[in-house]
Amino acid sequence: MSLAIETLSAGYGATPVLHDITLKVEEGGICALMGRNGSGKTTLLRCINAILKPKHGGVKAFGQEVSRLKRVEIARLISLVPQSSSTAFPFTCREMILMGAAARVRAWSAPSRKEVATALEVLHEVGIEGLANRPFNQLSGGERQLVMLARALFQNTPIMLLDEPNAHLDFSNQHRMMEIMRAVVKRRGATALISLHDPNLTLHYCDHVAMLKKGRLVAHGPTGAVMEEKTLREVLGENIRTETTLGGHTVVTPRGPSVAVHKLKILSRR
Amino acid sequence: MKKSGVALLCLFFAASLGIALCAGRYPIGIQGVARLLFAWTGVAPPSEETRLIFWNIRLPRIIMSFVVGCGISIAGAVFQALFRNPLAAPDILGVTAGSCFGAALAIMYFTTAALAVQGSAFVFGTLAVTLAYLLASRSWDRSAAVLVISGIVVSAFFQAGLSILMYIANPYDQLAQIVFWIMGSFHTASWAKAQTTLPLVVAGSVLLMIFSWRLNVMTQHEEDALSLGIDIFRWRCFYVTVSTLIVAASVAAVGTIAWVGLIMPHIARYLAGTDHRRLIPATAFLGGTFLLLMDTIARSVLASEIPISIITSIIGAPFLGYLVMNRRYLGVERELGN
Repeated sequence: MSLAIETLSAGYGATPVLHDITLKVEEGGICALMGRNGSGKTTLLRCINAILKPKHGGVKAFGQEVSRLKRVEIARLISLVPQSSSTAFPFTCREMILMGAAARVRAWSAPSRKEVATALEVLHEVGIEGLANRPFNQLSGGERQLVMLARALFQNTPIMLLDEPNAHLDFSNQHRMMEIMRAVVKRRGATALISLHDPNLTLHYCDHVAMLKKGRLVAHGPTGAVMEEKTLREVLGENIRTETTLGGHTVVTPRGPSVAVHKLKILSRR
Repeated sequence: MKKSGVALLCLFFAASLGIALCAGRYPIGIQGVARLLFAWTGVAPPSEETRLIFWNIRLPRIIMSFVVGCGISIAGAVFQALFRNPLAAPDILGVTAGSCFGAALAIMYFTTAALAVQGSAFVFGTLAVTLAYLLASRSWDRSAAVLVISGIVVSAFFQAGLSILMYIANPYDQLAQIVFWIMGSFHTASWAKAQTTLPLVVAGSVLLMIFSWRLNVMTQHEEDALSLGIDIFRWRCFYVTVSTLIVAASVAAVGTIAWVGLIMPHIARYLAGTDHRRLIPATAFLGGTFLLLMDTIARSVLASEIPISIITSIIGAPFLGYLVMNRRYLGVERELGN
């Protein structure tokens, strides 16, 4: 078992966010983490990465309690693609990606030529070789996310956490990112936990899915079994329905407005 | 770094060093300097007086201004990286305020002996930063912003203390001494002073150059740096300690030097890029050369010594204005997605 979360509760100060979550993530697959805004997806990823200390319970990666490991040791097991990122200084994308080698480079040293060559390869594989010498903080949100994905890939860990990686991506790049993740999972035997909002991406690319509602795990299992209309409505909202296309794919579509739009007072205001 | 950048830096250094060796209240011609430097080959030195001035007064001063310039510029670059703030200066955590208070305290109540004032300034400079660090560590929030606020608090506290001391100081001798000390000057430079100051500044600078690549990761957001495998809190403590020792040793020896630590990293970034492995050496070299030139101006333009901070401010402040107009060099974040 690459990643096991056991009776985990966590929160910020006095505000509880996660309640008693037990989740085992199968090795060598993509697990989607779904839930509405504020359901605790990012908090869960923070606990797994030992950035937030759980109030109760813990997280094990390959049998080791994550909170007992040193930062370097965690960084050799787990990488993270954050929701959004920025830098105060105009680092080039090449320099940004090279930071992914920090856990392998000695404190008094810098990445070797071999590392630089590998970094450029990763850049190429993600399809952003044109950005190599561009300053990171002049890129669009989507381009930044691709660079951060490249950095996590360059970090080369058996477990990857991605926090809404598709948030700023265009349609084509959303699928490109998921296809890259599929290939990585297959070739490296890595495990990826990805928080996603789009159920169709989950259906199309993920092996497993874990559903969070108000900080509790309400459903977990293989995508096909969990992604039923009833569960989706319960977790993601009432205005959801599933359909089967002529090609045999299941797709999730909106069922019509969830609030009585014609009654909204803002519409009658002038 | 581009080759033209390296060539430019070397040229700037050679010109500054040449001027610094020759100029002063006692000008020595190029020929004279050459004869002094090559006296060991058997060339007769110009005169005994020139020889003494050159070796015992001018040379230690040149070396001190260069090394102190290197040190505080590196410290500036490191603090800008640690606080992810292009406008951070070496005194952001209160080291300068602490040192000035320490120096004033020594001048008023103990002794005006240079070494004692220097020691007191050093102790209070490091004490100020330690206080800021302890204050910040009491907070549950371990972000760099809290440390900056603690630095401001501690600075204000020591500045108030300094004001009190200046208010009650004897206006006929003590006050002038304190004011001149605060404005900073290399006129007290000597081999003895160099011996107490330079080992710490040089050792600290070398250490920061060795651990320079890691500073790239330190500029990332806390969570990102942690997930890249850097224990950001422990390393922040390391970088703050080494930089503080450099700045405290420098300020204790020569008083405050305005602007150099803030501006040199920006020019260096323009020449050498953002990667700290190239940025730190470039900043050091540039800062050292700049302060060497500024000190030469301070000691040779007028008949009396000009405090060094006046010169660095007159040249530094407009330059910062220029940088703000050209935001590109400041590396100020553009709005997301435009």
